[in-house]
Amino acid sequence: MARITAGIASSHVPLLGVAADTGKDRDAYFGPIFEGYDWTRAWIAQSENKPDVVILVYNDHASAFDMKIIPTFAIGCGERYKPADEGWGPRRVPDVEGHPDLAWHIAQSLILDEFDMTIINEMDVDHGLTVPLTMMYGAPEAWPAKVIPLAVNVVTYPPPSGNRCWALGEAIARAVKSFDGEDLNVHIWGTGGMSHQLQGPRAGLINAEWDNMFLDGLVGASQKLRSIPHIEYLRETGSEGIEMVMWLIMRGALGRETKALHRHYHVPCSNTAIGHIVLEPVDDRVPPSATIEGNDAAAQAAI
Amino acid sequence: MTDPRDIHAYLGAFDDIPGTRVYTAARARQGYHLNQFAMSLMKAENRARWLADERAYLNEWPLTPEQRDAVLARDYNRLLDLGGNIYFLSKLFSTDGLSFVQAVSTMTGMSVEDYKAMMDAGGRSPEGMRSIKGKY
Repeated sequence: MARITAGIASSHVPLLGVAADTGKDRDAYFGPIFEGYDWTRAWIAQSENKPDVVILVYNDHASAFDMKIIPTFAIGCGERYKPADEGWGPRRVPDVEGHPDLAWHIAQSLILDEFDMTIINEMDVDHGLTVPLTMMYGAPEAWPAKVIPLAVNVVTYPPPSGNRCWALGEAIARAVKSFDGEDLNVHIWGTGGMSHQLQGPRAGLINAEWDNMFLDGLVGASQKLRSIPHIEYLRETGSEGIEMVMWLIMRGALGRETKALHRHYHVPCSNTAIGHIVLEPVDDRVPPSATIEGNDAAAQAAI
Repeated sequence: MTDPRDIHAYLGAFDDIPGTRVYTAARARQGYHLNQFAMSLMKAENRARWLADERAYLNEWPLTPEQRDAVLARDYNRLLDLGGNIYFLSKLFSTDGLSFVQAVSTMTGMSVEDYKAMMDAGGRSPEGMRSIKGKY
């Protein structure tokens, strides 16, 4: 059986990877950012908190996917993934090892639950996925957890709604609970954000007040974040702030109520506001599947 | 949970955000070859050919004359208008050796130094920058 024991959210600014890879992570500019992750690095190293598998929700930034194919939700079911060459050579970080048993189980469960996932067996993973690993684990020889990449389109409009992301998180929670393989401590991480705009004359927009409202909304039993429309993210947090819908997949998967173990917010990193929060489920119940297949005992037995 | 949404109102609202081009399907269609050209610079051998002769390399792509000129001029606001997306265009400015901050600042009418100073001071305030019609 498998259990989701924690949710982590983090920005995934590529410059953080550069800073870590070139030994600048404790300098005057980056030090205050990385210090906000020290608590998490110590916490996640303790055996009771160490995940066997991380479901890592991120977006690809024109690396594995170009404009030829744009999956809204895609799940990596492969054995391993290499760091992508994003135009300046791949990051010298370990390959990312997948967990095909759990990934395929989740993929099948989600499809029966009427989330029509794209399945990926081979791809390279870019900074959206490797920077959060660096922030949580530093620079180990091998990543201490297996990773199930879950890629979300937040580049070409429309991205999925916040509500749909939250509901996908709930479906992931149902899928993980019904895994009948090895005992697994599973984390779900939501990445990207917080406020930033990388384009046009309005570039550089930061909205600390809104970002902190969003961080507040992840904690407790409130579901108000799921109904925030895209236009509000765009107006309030900049055109790339829309990445925060990915955090709602993480939040939805934690169930009815959460508590915050750690929280960090810093401006700026490059063009971006850095946000980071570690959440634990207080009440991890999620609604039952609304689908015919999902409620059908024979269908469940087949997955 | 989510209110029914009129797709035309949904898309129309994007034009009300000051200084912002939302990457809609219309822009994705207009900029398809432009973005795929930029994407091609992910490969080292393509970067070498591009750096050796930009015009010749561009001629291999079915871009409009306006798109071609804007690429050669590195006019990123114009490239956004012509369907470019910043994550794809980042392959172009990375090949030029520019960071995101350096390239992004060129779209704001500010010098890199002034832009960096704005970011260090907490970034651009959203006040008055949320809505053209609403002026808030």
